Amino acid sequence: MKTGIQSWLDDRFGLSSITKFLREKTVPQHKHTIWYYTGSAILLFFTIQVITGFMLVFYYKPTLEGANESVARIMTEVPLGWIIRSVHSWCASFMIAFVFIHLLSTWLTKSYRNPRELTWMSGVFLLVVSLLFGFTGYLLPWDDLSLSATKVGTDIPRSIPLVGAWVTKLLRGGEDVTGDTLTRFYGFHVSILPVLIFILLGVHIYLIQKQGMSLPIAAENKNDEVRDIPFWPNFVYREMIVWLLLLGALFSLAIFFPPSLDKAADLMAPAPEGIKPEWYFLFLFQTLKIFPAKILFLNGDTLAVLLMLIAGILFFFLPLIDNKPAERKGRIITVIGLVLIVYAVVMTIWSLL
Amino acid sequence: MKLKHSLFTRRQFLNGLLGGWMGALLASFLYPVLKFVFPPTREPDQVILPFADFRDMGPNSVNNFLWGTKPGILRKNDDGAYLAFVGVCTHLDCNVSYLPDQRKFFCACHDGWYDEDGLNIGGPPPRPLRRLVVSIEGEDLIIKREGGERVEDS
Repeated sequence: MKTGIQSWLDDRFGLSSITKFLREKTVPQHKHTIWYYTGSAILLFFTIQVITGFMLVFYYKPTLEGANESVARIMTEVPLGWIIRSVHSWCASFMIAFVFIHLLSTWLTKSYRNPRELTWMSGVFLLVVSLLFGFTGYLLPWDDLSLSATKVGTDIPRSIPLVGAWVTKLLRGGEDVTGDTLTRFYGFHVSILPVLIFILLGVHIYLIQKQGMSLPIAAENKNDEVRDIPFWPNFVYREMIVWLLLLGALFSLAIFFPPSLDKAADLMAPAPEGIKPEWYFLFLFQTLKIFPAKILFLNGDTLAVLLMLIAGILFFFLPLIDNKPAERKGRIITVIGLVLIVYAVVMTIWSLL
Repeated sequence: MKLKHSLFTRRQFLNGLLGGWMGALLASFLYPVLKFVFPPTREPDQVILPFADFRDMGPNSVNNFLWGTKPGILRKNDDGAYLAFVGVCTHLDCNVSYLPDQRKFFCACHDGWYDEDGLNIGGPPPRPLRRLVVSIEGEDLIIKREGGERVEDS
């Protein structure tokens, strides 16, 4: 039954085609269905980041003099400020963790195969933007750890031939990390990256709706039993159960383990010992650490950065490279994926030792 | 329409012309944007410090000074001579510290080591620390770039 206002709005917006689509949308049920939940979990975390981010912006001051102090104020004076910052900080980790799970499930079930290559590619961009969110946000409290991590992180692109030095300068707003870098990172974090992520999310989600949920190869070949359940309300209610569990975990961690805040960073002080980036950069950090200064005639870190760059490009084009997923080549690529997961886990643990 | 000996049709020509204009227009908008986002960077030609502040340094000790936006490290040798370095690791730009007991410079970020003359001796640093030239003129301690020319820290 449509009320007068509903039909008045529908005449103008034509939203009934969207509601009709959602009513008729189905989600296939099979033994890999659990991975479908990771996408909406990421959206949940992203929404929390947007809301808590809006709140933090009210008190945060993105300047050399004010940044650390304003975060301290959020943690100590602002009513419930500590929990808002804690949720924002923890939720970032949750979001990145689920982005990785989402990505690996796509890789290992090979959901990116024809015609879903562009969904994967927009997803790789979303991964990059998510990591940049994490990287820029890490600097904002402006303590010793975040400063050193930013110095290293913004120096890494310098090894890219031709454009590298310019990228570093663009990120830092000058030759060195200064107060300008802080202001610039704040700009990236709250204005440029949000616009990018909304555009990319739009493309990503549109493609998924347009093409429907991907089936695993076994299910597609009718080896496995598949039945469809309605998206609304059956699947959405199941998702909400998952959301509630995740929210419980997130808020518990945020309450019992709020992030620390060190004294304000001193641009001239030596780097403190035991500096670490956020956990999701640790495997890259450790890779850089173990690369020797010289390999043949090349700089060690130049070589490491070039290898990472090449790996990134191959990763982006993975659906086109892995074009025979059911055959031997596809299985080799799956094994490479597993090896890389093991590599990342081992490197991460090593860097924590 | 295409003339007999022409390489392209009139439409192609006009579209190319229009596209070229649009591209040039876009570039002229992009240029100031790019100029804006890269701020000018000035590395100082020299830094003049009051010598009185550094005269009483003991041998094998260091003091800090400001080299533009980077930390500078002034070290006094055992023979009383002064050495100056840009105190930034040549690996990935972290600030280094001097450990007088071991007579080494140390970068905590990726475990990089330099000897007392700034030579890279361990860990990932690819080059020695950048040296600066120290001279004492009357009451001034003057620190200059080596060779007097601008050095890009790439």
